Amino acid sequence: MDKDNETILEVKNLRKRYGDKEVVKGISFEVKRGEVFGILGPNGAGKTTTFEMIEAMRSIDGGEITVDGIDVQKDPWAVRRIIGVQPQSPSFQDKQKLSEIIEMFAATYGERVNVQEFLDDVNLGEKINDFAENLSGGQRQRLSIAAALVHNPRVFFLDEPTTGLDPQARRNLWKLIEHIRDKGVTVMLTTHYMDEAEILCDRVAIMDRGQIIQLDTPKNLIKQLLAKGFKKEQKVEQANLEDVFIDLTGKALRD
Amino acid sequence: MHGILIIAAAVALVVVRVLIKRGRKASGAKQPSAPKRPLSPWQKKLYTVLVFTKLNTRRFFRDRLALFFGILFPLIFLFVFGGINSGSGNISFNVALLNRSDTAFAKQFAQQLDKSKTFKVNKTITSFSDAKERMTRSQVDATIVLPQGFGEVKSGAPSGQAQVYYTQNDATSGQTLTTVLDGEFKGINNKFVQAQVPLTVKGVTLSNKSLTSFDYAFAGLLGFSIIGLGIFGPINVFPELKKQGILRRLHTTPIRVWQYFLSTMFSQAMIGLISISVMFIAAISVFHLKVVGNYFEIALFVVLSIFMILGIGLAIGGWAKNERQAAPLSNIIVFPMLFLSGTFFPRFLMPEWLQKITSFLPLTPVIDGIRLLTTEGKHLVDIAPQLGLMAIWMLVVYIIAFRVFRWE
Repeated sequence: MDKDNETILEVKNLRKRYGDKEVVKGISFEVKRGEVFGILGPNGAGKTTTFEMIEAMRSIDGGEITVDGIDVQKDPWAVRRIIGVQPQSPSFQDKQKLSEIIEMFAATYGERVNVQEFLDDVNLGEKINDFAENLSGGQRQRLSIAAALVHNPRVFFLDEPTTGLDPQARRNLWKLIEHIRDKGVTVMLTTHYMDEAEILCDRVAIMDRGQIIQLDTPKNLIKQLLAKGFKKEQKVEQANLEDVFIDLTGKALRD
Repeated sequence: MHGILIIAAAVALVVVRVLIKRGRKASGAKQPSAPKRPLSPWQKKLYTVLVFTKLNTRRFFRDRLALFFGILFPLIFLFVFGGINSGSGNISFNVALLNRSDTAFAKQFAQQLDKSKTFKVNKTITSFSDAKERMTRSQVDATIVLPQGFGEVKSGAPSGQAQVYYTQNDATSGQTLTTVLDGEFKGINNKFVQAQVPLTVKGVTLSNKSLTSFDYAFAGLLGFSIIGLGIFGPINVFPELKKQGILRRLHTTPIRVWQYFLSTMFSQAMIGLISISVMFIAAISVFHLKVVGNYFEIALFVVLSIFMILGIGLAIGGWAKNERQAAPLSNIIVFPMLFLSGTFFPRFLMPEWLQKITSFLPLTPVIDGIRLLTTEGKHLVDIAPQLGLMAIWMLVVYIIAFRVFRWE
């Protein structure tokens, strides 16, 4: 089988209900090894719940999930060994140094790692002896990413990674995600920002009310829409306000 | 004994500092050496526990609030309770002394009285009217008056009659005081006049030491400190960790509940040993606590006690989703133990039926065990009933703790 087209994640007819409300209504999709796969959708669409079921954090009410050949329901602990998870709003215990946080997360896998290297990788090498509570929002995101990668996971999950970040930090994070993908890690992410999905994702699934209503590459999705005769009201300017902002304030990271 | 204890404490502190420094080096800028050979799965699991233990302990010593509640707070209690209890062991009288005699004997007697432990002489009182007023306000128990000419030497020996004045309310202490003074005079008399006294009484101190009220209070205070570490620690920390999603994040890694519990047990035990050593040092050096037991056995027992009590904290903190759930539940469990297990007053003061019931509370064998080991010189084999009860509780609380634990 062609390595590029190998399936690493398979979701079949997945269901989840909370009380009377079915939040995930039998969704199915496959993710290829090494791709960046996005799940887009409004709040309450079921994105986070879907992620949590794949991450073995929530019980599954119906259907199947296989991660790199491992059935999540049958062997959740084996799945935890090969995935990395970036939570929506990462936080750390006070009075813990960055080095200790990396050491601690590596230890959860029984591993000992070169802490400096991992912190350098996310541009936090100089802060190795700082306490985590003194970091800015973007720095905390990057620390959390470093902590999620200590065991070389095969699939990396990011739940709305750029919510609340300034444009510079967002762009920096995009670069970081591309860098992770280039190492061969499969990346799964959810986002509210369409520009983010367009830039980062190889394919996106659009979810609403617990169902996947479209799944394709961003380009194809746009093509399909245009083919339906869609036209934006006006498209004169070749730049938007964010381009202005970045032009004025620069791309350099502020933190 | 003091010396050994202080040296032991100093050595312990140095060891802790060195461990912390070494830990810093390993995690700091210097390259950590990669493990020489791959660890077995079990070694990896224990390595996880080791790192979490180390980091938990280190975090505790950086956190001023935790340090205050873990070490200083029990120490303050020790000084408050020690101060209350230490005086009650001996009888003493507050007296006013009015010396109207100028004989050498009277002067000498006044000096002796001042030095005596039984009498606390209030020197500000110089007139009888002042003394009388103070007596009515119970500031002094009695007034001793040495009249003019007291102690004048007549036929080879000093003579005279001292008067003891006391109010009706203080009749008991007044009479006791009179008897005490009478006894002292008889002793002096005997030196001058050799008389055969047909009937005498002599008090003999037994070599067995009885427990002072401070001994009881000390064991109770250690119990209080163990409750603080074992229950208040986790119930404050866990809901916060859940609120911030820190435990949830950990749950996405392969760490197991038992590894997390075990590392918490180890770090709390280390912190507990340090905190309790500080209390021992204070009790021995300030309140003259006589430790007759074996320190190693005491330390072992304290660690077991912390493990057991911590199980309660882990069960409550691990179950509760937030502070609102944790606080009332912990109060329901902690307060009965504090009042009924002998923390603040000894259980032998309770009616017998209550003693029977309260002997089964988890904290009771802890406090009894500490007292038996520390001040009664018993050994671990002698306190098998306490250890057995603790083992049963340990089993119960940890089964509950594992079952109800929630990562979020």
